[in-house]
Amino acid sequence: MKDKLIEITGLKKHYNGGAVKALDGINAEIDKGEVVVIIGPSGSGKSTFLRSLNLLEIPTEGRILFDNVDITDPNVNINLHRQKMGMVFQHFNLFPNMNILKNMTIAPMTILKKSKAEAEEKAMQLLKRVGLEDRAEAYPSQLSGGQKQRVAIVRALCMEPEVMLFDEPTSALDPEMVGEVLEVMKTLASEGMTMAVVTHEMGFAREVADRVIFMDEGKIIEEGTPEDIFTNPESDRLKSFLAKVL
Amino acid sequence: MDGIQAWFVQQFTELKDKFILCFIDGDRWQWIFDGLLNTLKITLFAGLIGVLIGIIVASVRSSYDKNSESLALRGGFGYHLLRFINGICQLYLTVIRGTPVVVQLMIMYFIILKSSTNGVFVAVITFGINSGAYVAEIFRSGIMAVDAGQFEAGRSLGFNYVQTMRYIIIPQAFKTVLPTLCNEFIALLKETSVAGYVGISDLTKAGDLIRGRTFEAFMPLIAVAIIYLVLVVILTRLVGVLERRLRRSER
Repeated sequence: MKDKLIEITGLKKHYNGGAVKALDGINAEIDKGEVVVIIGPSGSGKSTFLRSLNLLEIPTEGRILFDNVDITDPNVNINLHRQKMGMVFQHFNLFPNMNILKNMTIAPMTILKKSKAEAEEKAMQLLKRVGLEDRAEAYPSQLSGGQKQRVAIVRALCMEPEVMLFDEPTSALDPEMVGEVLEVMKTLASEGMTMAVVTHEMGFAREVADRVIFMDEGKIIEEGTPEDIFTNPESDRLKSFLAKVL
Repeated sequence: MDGIQAWFVQQFTELKDKFILCFIDGDRWQWIFDGLLNTLKITLFAGLIGVLIGIIVASVRSSYDKNSESLALRGGFGYHLLRFINGICQLYLTVIRGTPVVVQLMIMYFIILKSSTNGVFVAVITFGINSGAYVAEIFRSGIMAVDAGQFEAGRSLGFNYVQTMRYIIIPQAFKTVLPTLCNEFIALLKETSVAGYVGISDLTKAGDLIRGRTFEAFMPLIAVAIIYLVLVVILTRLVGVLERRLRRSER
């Protein structure tokens, strides 16, 4: 019996009073230690879905259970739960006015009340793991895109999250930098981190995912192992999508 | 040749006499000095009040802009409270920016704070409230200019709304608005020159008093103008230094 970490039921996100249905009734779950990759054409709602998981998008309807707590309940302190859900963005979103070390320690020091020494030790450890320990004093503007995204990943890890959400983490990168970021994500997956990844990197999905979810028009069309999805697609929509991207 | 020289000597002597008449006789430089002190006091404290009001109003207004959608979905007391406070802030901005500061000063001096005999205090309050409206919009534009991704990054790390503002957004916004904010302080410094309207002896009023007493306009008014100019130049320089220090994180 697997441990459910996130359970999503009937998730809907409507704009303009229902004229636009970004999410139209999503049911899904993510187990502890599982790597779920979400694919689909642009505008299919996959980013909205991912951003709903930590309530950056407030769902119009539906429930999200995280650690058996319904985080869509307005009385729940969402900040506490967001601490346990690391997020990595397409455009990195590092804080440009802080150096790398400060980027990584400000949240643990402010929110978790860690001491400066403790937070910095943890940050340096993580920086070493992604090979950037010598850039600790640099500012984000001095890093390459790939380096920025690696920092963004370890910045999220500094909060010791239970799950990592990746929103198209390699889409804004030059092609030669995609590899270094995917490498970090692979390592993370192999260490047992629970991950939900929205990506266009089909190679990564095939190699690393435990489960692949294909979305279109705000719905989950198909889901299964990478084998199911990439080798034996059932629906026409998935077939035509794969024909375009592979 | 001698004629020109004599003319210069005569001009110089006249200027010297006027200078002595305006500033040395009867220790009238003291008026200028006291006026300058009052001007600086009013500007400094009004500026502080302005920044304080500005930050609060800008925070409320941008909170409402950023959160009204999600709060409306959740409904409840918080949403209505924020909407109400936002309405008050908007009313404040409309009234203060829609009326001349001289009129505000007179209303404050002759009506609202009629019982106060401390003119400088009334001026500090009036100019502070007035400046707050402009500072609020300056700060709000700075907050809006910070990339939405910064806000999301902060929230996704677990910062609450206020912490995100305090640690992530405001420091970046402050850097953006610094030149405009400096502009506002320059305007404020010069705007305080209308304080004389209600009998507050600020720098301008002091110059005018000397003009009235000596029937000499050139000397005191030019002196006052030069003092304002020097103050503004110093202020601009100080902000320039601060700006360069804040920009160190950029290449």
